[in-house]
Amino acid sequence: MQQMQHTTLDHIEQIAEGVVSLVLRGTTGPLAPWEPGAHIDVALPNWLTRQYSLCGDPADRDAYRIAVRHDPLSRGGSEYIHRFLRRGRTLDVSLPRNHFPLVPAPEYLFLAGGIGITPILPMLRAAAASGVPVSLVYAGRSPATIPFADELLSLHGDVVRIVATRHHGRPDLTALRSALRPDALVYCCGPAPMLAAAEATFPAERLHVERFQPVTRTYAPNTPFEAVCARSGRTVQVPPDESLLDALTHAGYPVPSGCREGVCGSCEVTLLGGEPEHRDDIGAPAGRMYACVSRAQSPQLVVDL
Amino acid sequence: MTHAPARPRRMSPAEVRARLGEPEAMIEAKIRDRIDDYFRLFIAHAPFLTLATADASGRADCSPRGDYPGFVKVLDDHTLAIPDRPGNKIADSFRNLAENDGVGLLFLIPGLREMLRVNGRGYPTDDPDVLARMRTEARTPELAIVVEVAEAYFHCGRALVRSRLWDPASQALAEEIPSIGEIAAAQFGLDIDPGLLERTLQDSYRKLY
Repeated sequence: MQQMQHTTLDHIEQIAEGVVSLVLRGTTGPLAPWEPGAHIDVALPNWLTRQYSLCGDPADRDAYRIAVRHDPLSRGGSEYIHRFLRRGRTLDVSLPRNHFPLVPAPEYLFLAGGIGITPILPMLRAAAASGVPVSLVYAGRSPATIPFADELLSLHGDVVRIVATRHHGRPDLTALRSALRPDALVYCCGPAPMLAAAEATFPAERLHVERFQPVTRTYAPNTPFEAVCARSGRTVQVPPDESLLDALTHAGYPVPSGCREGVCGSCEVTLLGGEPEHRDDIGAPAGRMYACVSRAQSPQLVVDL
Repeated sequence: MTHAPARPRRMSPAEVRARLGEPEAMIEAKIRDRIDDYFRLFIAHAPFLTLATADASGRADCSPRGDYPGFVKVLDDHTLAIPDRPGNKIADSFRNLAENDGVGLLFLIPGLREMLRVNGRGYPTDDPDVLARMRTEARTPELAIVVEVAEAYFHCGRALVRSRLWDPASQALAEEIPSIGEIAAAQFGLDIDPGLLERTLQDSYRKLY
């Protein structure tokens, strides 16, 4: 089981239409450090685990801040947080993980859509503090639905542009691109159409995206494979209709899991051999794979379990 | 001299009412016609319910439904939706609902004595917005049962107190029952290793969705 940190919900407040922010204070002392772009798993009382980007100040080791939008098609995560969580509730959270780290650059453009602002908030602060040119274009449906607008405008008013898409349409990314120096980095987090537009506009090597939802893709039919667990010497059969994560879990290996759809990274497994077929939206680093969705191209994978 | 055991005497409805007395007014008043915030809170924490249906002739059926707490979705103050997870495909509930849409639900929360009862009318749906809210382990159910709520009320906990249902010591009762593999082998007169049946069943429990 992955290491969890005990926190107490210190503050919960509606900050925009359908959005609450939560302050989770370490119950037994300082919380694990994190870098801008990081997220945590939050274990909810209804057994669901959900991932939320940290949007507070990394220098504050006593508390994490997250913000949650109530998804009208909620499966029970955001709905539970909005309706039932009250101040004083204890919540276990994971150590922070970061698939969206801020890489040094001579200029940054941040693109955020709706609740996708959460990882961008601390990134913008850190980038601005580094002294290079930064700008944020932040789109939301209408002013009432846009969280953190006041905070952003008071801290970074000169570099922040907030676009209410209902009145002004989507921001023109091509115009933004032409205003950037060619070696600037672009960080984008938001709904799927915004990510797609960013991917169509900016060169891949200059663009970093963070997804809350998996991309819909089609794959060749699943084939069976074997997972050789190097540490224990056991071999686990993975049938076509079972994920590597489930096969390992059922064989007694306690691999943690979160989203189960290749976006959160909880189920990262160290790969020692074989050809993986990556199906995640994180971009697995060399020698790692995400067992919830990814499978094998070779008949056998060797994993560090 | 031995007699065949007599069939127990059948009472008339009037006799039953006379024996039990009239229900207290408070009990009647607790029945509500909608899902209020407390019922919503209860449903959001309930991982288990029983679903009672009957066919047109009155042939009745009661089936269990269970998942993570809150697996039953409250669509609005008058409407619930229950996911249909893979089961035995007998689909008694759906067959009954096609003839007779009356449903009775009893929700349980582990550790809590009081129960929630909801009665109403049910029908099957494949509405994608309803099913999307029920996706678990990257699988979406094929169907759900929508329940239009007519009555909802908390049921007092006497049955659970008397049954010691949540007392961990009560779990010793399970040890008195042979494994379902042994029972199945005996009931169906199968010449098969009960251990193998048991392992087959255990394997089927690995795939819950």
